[in-house]
Amino acid sequence: MALRLPLHADDWRLMSRTARLVLGGPVYAGVALAAAGVALVGFVLSQNVAAVRDVFVGRVPVVILTELFPFVGTSYGPVTGAVVVVVAALVGVDVALVTYHVREHRLSAESGGGSLLGVVLGTLGAGCAACGSAVIAGLLSLFGAAGLVTLLPLDGLEFSILALAALVLSIHWLAEGMRGGEIRGCPVDAKE
Amino acid sequence: MNDGSGPRRLTRRGALTAGLSLFGAGCLGGGGDGDGARSLSTHPVGTDLSTQPRLGPEPGLAPATIVAFEDPSCPRCAAFERNTVPQIRTELVDPGEATFVARTIPVVYPWGGPATYALEATFARDADAFWTLAAHYFDRQDTFDRDNVLDRTESFLAAETDVDAAGVVADAEREAHADAVQTDLDASEAADVDGTPTVFLFRDGEYRTRATGSVSFDFVTGALEP
Repeated sequence: MALRLPLHADDWRLMSRTARLVLGGPVYAGVALAAAGVALVGFVLSQNVAAVRDVFVGRVPVVILTELFPFVGTSYGPVTGAVVVVVAALVGVDVALVTYHVREHRLSAESGGGSLLGVVLGTLGAGCAACGSAVIAGLLSLFGAAGLVTLLPLDGLEFSILALAALVLSIHWLAEGMRGGEIRGCPVDAKE
Repeated sequence: MNDGSGPRRLTRRGALTAGLSLFGAGCLGGGGDGDGARSLSTHPVGTDLSTQPRLGPEPGLAPATIVAFEDPSCPRCAAFERNTVPQIRTELVDPGEATFVARTIPVVYPWGGPATYALEATFARDADAFWTLAAHYFDRQDTFDRDNVLDRTESFLAAETDVDAAGVVADAEREAHADAVQTDLDASEAADVDGTPTVFLFRDGEYRTRATGSVSFDFVTGALEP
């Protein structure tokens, strides 16, 4: 089956309208917010599990964990912080769409795969952005490719950008899957 | 193209894999299961600490000790040096509240290797010049590569410090201080350091926490509060 990419303005209008209609429902808006929050917390805190553990055992106050988040502390620069937040927000939208699609329709394999890929890349991207390319160098070295990190001109932000792309594709495929249907009584069609 | 079993199978597998990926990424940046049971004197980052470049009193004499693993070529280390270390100096080190120890490890870009050897060779001659050169590397990261780093290092040291710049570069070229570099690498490995910068924070000789990334000054002070 040919890979369908969002190459036309209509595709983006369809994605936007589908997301708007699904998130217009309070339940799915809540799902999106919760998923985005979980994604952001996961992206950020998974880079410093030891600090989380030290909070739980009472060595350090919990408030210091807020300092690890973009735009609160200094772990992320403005661009990488923004990308991490956007990836988390897209995870929220994506999960809401997946939830809606699973409940109301059948979920296609490529849509679910795109969502998962976005989460994995988002986590990698957050790690790269937060602590330099050493994280991804360590990962790549598992595959004998540590030198590849020097080919990443954006110091690992590339993975966050890939996560963005994966999530956009996933949302596109989900919206395509819902084309022609209805969401809360409104027809899903880009041509309004 | 859909069948009835596809979505459920994918969802379960997807959730499991996503969870594992988050956990795996955490392992990459977290690590250090045995940190809490260790004091500064027994923790791997405390190995040969008194012989390392430091700001402030001898490690263990001030109430707090901050040990930072950094690579001169690491962009987030530069951000840490730019955003956080100046406040550590003025608000913790200068009043005698903390000792800041730098352990330099070459793990990111290739020019970080010769730069690390040059830093060790400089430190062996003049501790103040070490900090001057380290600041130069962090300030001007975008101007260095493996081919020019030692030439630029020699020019900088000759112009800005009193150390024997040619001697430093000669030592760096033949890796004369390989033992010192290896000591830091061994300490980082023993402490499960997987990213730079990674800071370890101790209060009254006891481990408080660790963090990877260019953490803020508030993170540091929050973790070190009495």
